[in-house]
Amino acid sequence: MTIRTDPENNETRALFDMANFSGQHVLEIGCGDGRVTWLYADKAAHVTAIDPSAKLIALARQELPSHLQNQVEFHDSPFEDFAAASKPSAFDIVILSWSLC
Amino acid sequence: MVHALEEIRRLLKPTGILIDIHPVAEASPIKIHQGKKIELVGDLFVRQWCSDYQHADEALTEIKQRGLFMVEREGMFNSLTHYDSAAEMRTDWKEAIDKFARDAQSIDESVPQAETMAARAEELMRTAASGAELVVGERVHISRLKPI
Repeated sequence: MTIRTDPENNETRALFDMANFSGQHVLEIGCGDGRVTWLYADKAAHVTAIDPSAKLIALARQELPSHLQNQVEFHDSPFEDFAAASKPSAFDIVILSWSLC
Repeated sequence: MVHALEEIRRLLKPTGILIDIHPVAEASPIKIHQGKKIELVGDLFVRQWCSDYQHADEALTEIKQRGLFMVEREGMFNSLTHYDSAAEMRTDWKEAIDKFARDAQSIDESVPQAETMAARAEELMRTAASGAELVVGERVHISRLKPI
């Protein structure tokens, strides 16, 4: 049983048309199981990816490739809690990943 | 939602950017792909999802009007989800519908329509050639916003 989301890479093209991730510090809000994170993570300097679902974050951590271990960190946290504990002006790029709903 | 966008603005460097990706509030076509042959099963319209997407649009409009962000670039793309069977499509939807039902503490009135659509897809897939797949399309809006 396989579900394939966007094998046509339409989202990847649209994302890279919007931003250059090279050397950037990225915050992804609503990362879920990391489906969008994997599209750009290897280009960024550092990625902080958050989602309120502990189950989905556990899946994302399982899928985290070894070469990205020091580059990507996942947090199972609601955005409000994460923001309250975060310093201002910390990120170059924030991605609302299907999560502004 | 607007408060979250204000918090995002605080977390961004002054030279930073916000990229928002969210689906458009419209029905999603469900099709069966068999090689070059494409057959429309129907359109899925879940009112709760569309309502949430409309709220996202409204929040973006508000932050632009309040001068917190400006749109630098925007576009649309089609996100297609491919399923090997109607059963796996139904399972995938069920998770999403259950989540929304929990969040909204009610069952969306259009959920029965999703069930009808899944049953129709199941029936058509039964007679489809081997290798046929169900493809659900969503129009997605993507925008790049700069804090002001």
